[in-house]
Amino acid sequence: MLARALELTGISTTSISLVREHTEKVKPPRALYVPFPFGHALGRPDDPELQHRVLRAALGLLSEAAGPVLRDLPEDAEPGDQPPAPPQASGIKPAEQVPDDVAMETTQMRRYHERWLEKSSGRTLLGLTGIPATRFRGVVRFLEGFADGQDVDMAERPPEVPLPNFVRYCADDLKALYFEGHLAMKPAAGGEEIARWFWGETGAGRLLRRIRDRLDTSDDPRWKAAAFGIAR
Amino acid sequence: MPRLDRLPQISRNNLLTFPAQVNDTAPFVRPGKPLAGCRLAIVTTAGLHVRGDRPFTPGDQTYRVISSDTPTADIVQSHTSIGFDRVAIMRDINISFPIDRLRELVTRGELGGLASNCYSFMGAQREAARIESATGPEVGRRLAAEGVDVALITPT
Repeated sequence: MLARALELTGISTTSISLVREHTEKVKPPRALYVPFPFGHALGRPDDPELQHRVLRAALGLLSEAAGPVLRDLPEDAEPGDQPPAPPQASGIKPAEQVPDDVAMETTQMRRYHERWLEKSSGRTLLGLTGIPATRFRGVVRFLEGFADGQDVDMAERPPEVPLPNFVRYCADDLKALYFEGHLAMKPAAGGEEIARWFWGETGAGRLLRRIRDRLDTSDDPRWKAAAFGIAR
Repeated sequence: MPRLDRLPQISRNNLLTFPAQVNDTAPFVRPGKPLAGCRLAIVTTAGLHVRGDRPFTPGDQTYRVISSDTPTADIVQSHTSIGFDRVAIMRDINISFPIDRLRELVTRGELGGLASNCYSFMGAQREAARIESATGPEVGRRLAAEGVDVALITPT
């Protein structure tokens, strides 16, 4: 739909499609269907050769004389052993023993995350709240108070950001700290392995399940929407 | 995408009930020159933006500008649906925003150049009337004003 809107203003577009069934209906001017999981539009991370093949195929559609054009990437390259979508928290049984002190656990994860930053030249998905990792103990205390049903807030929440959205950003930053920290420890870990570890074995995973429960019991659809995005 | 039958039920249901617009034809503008002479912008629906810029909210139909020379370390993602694996983009931003790969194509002479700005929208939109009527055309006009010939549209 976005492609059609841009094309109508005179820009030639070519799209990468992950859902062939939808693309067939919407009919963007040019689309390349790729058989990759969600989150893997260009194929595989750190695989420039495959990414170039995808790009050349998508850009090649620009020489077509008429459209709409929908082509399949001429190969069936499901990347490695990655599942089409990550497992949901509801499908992962928490371990019997999970750390109680999430603030302490977060401080330990921060050390691993610092290693991640060294390895990744500073690239991190952390940063939706604007609160630096060095002050995540405060974020954890806020989230714990929220999960306990207290009327809590943080001075760092911008006035225009509703509380449930801010809770969601805190949860996403916390996940980024843990997931990237885990990648620093185990560089070959895939998304499924990390999800199983986070939801099954960490205190932070248990805390986010409780956050989800509090948001989900609200009658406010915005709170429910935030719950849906934190854990299912 | 992964075959529908391999997806968790919740993701499969989301896709099967997705209110995709049905069209019979498509607008179609042929680029006036070969790719080696075209300026290209990435327009992504991966919910990316510069760190410190306003994060997207679910269903947000606004857009963010990402200057093409933004260091990739400064790009974050507020599209954080749990329906996709974020580990791929943690490892390599090119998985959704192939800026390094496109620069390589420019260096090799296969692509004319990169636009000064790329643009980003939120993904997983079930209702996109404002993108269709307002913010999408607005980005199109900005791209045209910035001398862009081609937009590459990338999902999450």
